[in-house]
Amino acid sequence: MTFTRVIAAAALCAATVAPLAAHHSAAMFDDGKVVEVNGTIKEMQWTNPHIWIQVIVDTNGQKTEWSIEGGSPNSLSRNGWRATTFKFGDAVAVRVNPMKDGGPGGSFIGAKFKDTGKTIGRWE
Amino acid sequence: MRTALLAAAACVIAIGVVAGQVGKPAPAALQDWSGVWQMVGPTVFDRATVQPQNGRAGDPGVREFPPYTDEYEAIYRKNIERIKAGTFPDPISVCGVPHGFPRIMNVPDVYEFAVTPTATYVLAENGPGILRIYTDGRKHPAAEELWGTYTGASVGHWEGDTLVFETAGLKGSRDKDVIVDRTGLVLSDASRITTRMRKINDTTLEAVIVVEDAKALKAPWKVTKQYRKLPAGTWAWDYGCAENNRNPISSSGKTLTLGPNGKPLDKKVN
Repeated sequence: MTFTRVIAAAALCAATVAPLAAHHSAAMFDDGKVVEVNGTIKEMQWTNPHIWIQVIVDTNGQKTEWSIEGGSPNSLSRNGWRATTFKFGDAVAVRVNPMKDGGPGGSFIGAKFKDTGKTIGRWE
Repeated sequence: MRTALLAAAACVIAIGVVAGQVGKPAPAALQDWSGVWQMVGPTVFDRATVQPQNGRAGDPGVREFPPYTDEYEAIYRKNIERIKAGTFPDPISVCGVPHGFPRIMNVPDVYEFAVTPTATYVLAENGPGILRIYTDGRKHPAAEELWGTYTGASVGHWEGDTLVFETAGLKGSRDKDVIVDRTGLVLSDASRITTRMRKINDTTLEAVIVVEDAKALKAPWKVTKQYRKLPAGTWAWDYGCAENNRNPISSSGKTLTLGPNGKPLDKKVN
């Protein structure tokens, strides 16, 4: 499967998959609010029970690391994601339901890769 | 030598009697439930009664309407209030306890159903999640030999294409580490559940679950779950929940979110 098809399949499926249903209450996230995190990928932790996308945001030289939680690698892999979907150094915009208390974390909604314009998850 | 053989035979018979195996013949043709399956719909256990109708398990204010006794209706309402306060953790978040029964029939990710002549195994990828249903003719252990466990003891038989099994020996919410779903539904350690499972077409399995519970319910509670077969070649994977669990539970019951350094991102931990 080409990268383009992987992204397309993932985008299609992500809209119908509740990503955090597998393991814990989602009470910490504000699902009525969407925040766009712009930065570069530090790493993706392709692990159970959830994947984590670590994004470094540089605001006028001050760096903040965001922790963005997704579904399990099991379900995501069946929906086109791969362990290499997000790579170190990728410039991305990631939309999340943020933590209610303002911490630098959130629940993954969708992302756009700035060098290719490709999207994954729910973006529009 | 002859004495030794007779003794060995006697031992085998004795073990069989202790295990309660009476050698009931296997079905002439095993049902083909092969493949990888996924539960249809979200993880609200009783979708027929959920309010609001599109409510998701775990969202504040979402509830179902089992025929609860007053005592268990009060427990459920208290759980619902804790969900609103963000202090009703999912027991499985600690990574290690099984979902238990009937919740194992109501989990995300995928399932496999292994049908053998003497038992059927429900293998939930999201786990640990294994339900063993013995169909070798045994009965439930006597009351003094049965203790409450997460998934209980299931024995069943085949009626044509339908697997009928009864589950007893459930710990329910006695130790506060088993729920039925994330709306706060719980059952008691008196619950006894009869399930009828069959393939209703080539790609759909159906489980009709009837819950009886002398402590928690005023009447039997019937819930139907369906499972859709995924394309051939679909993989089920290892689910090592403790591999990288960044969502521990605080002493107040709040589910935390850890940063990569292991420290909570939450500004208030309790």
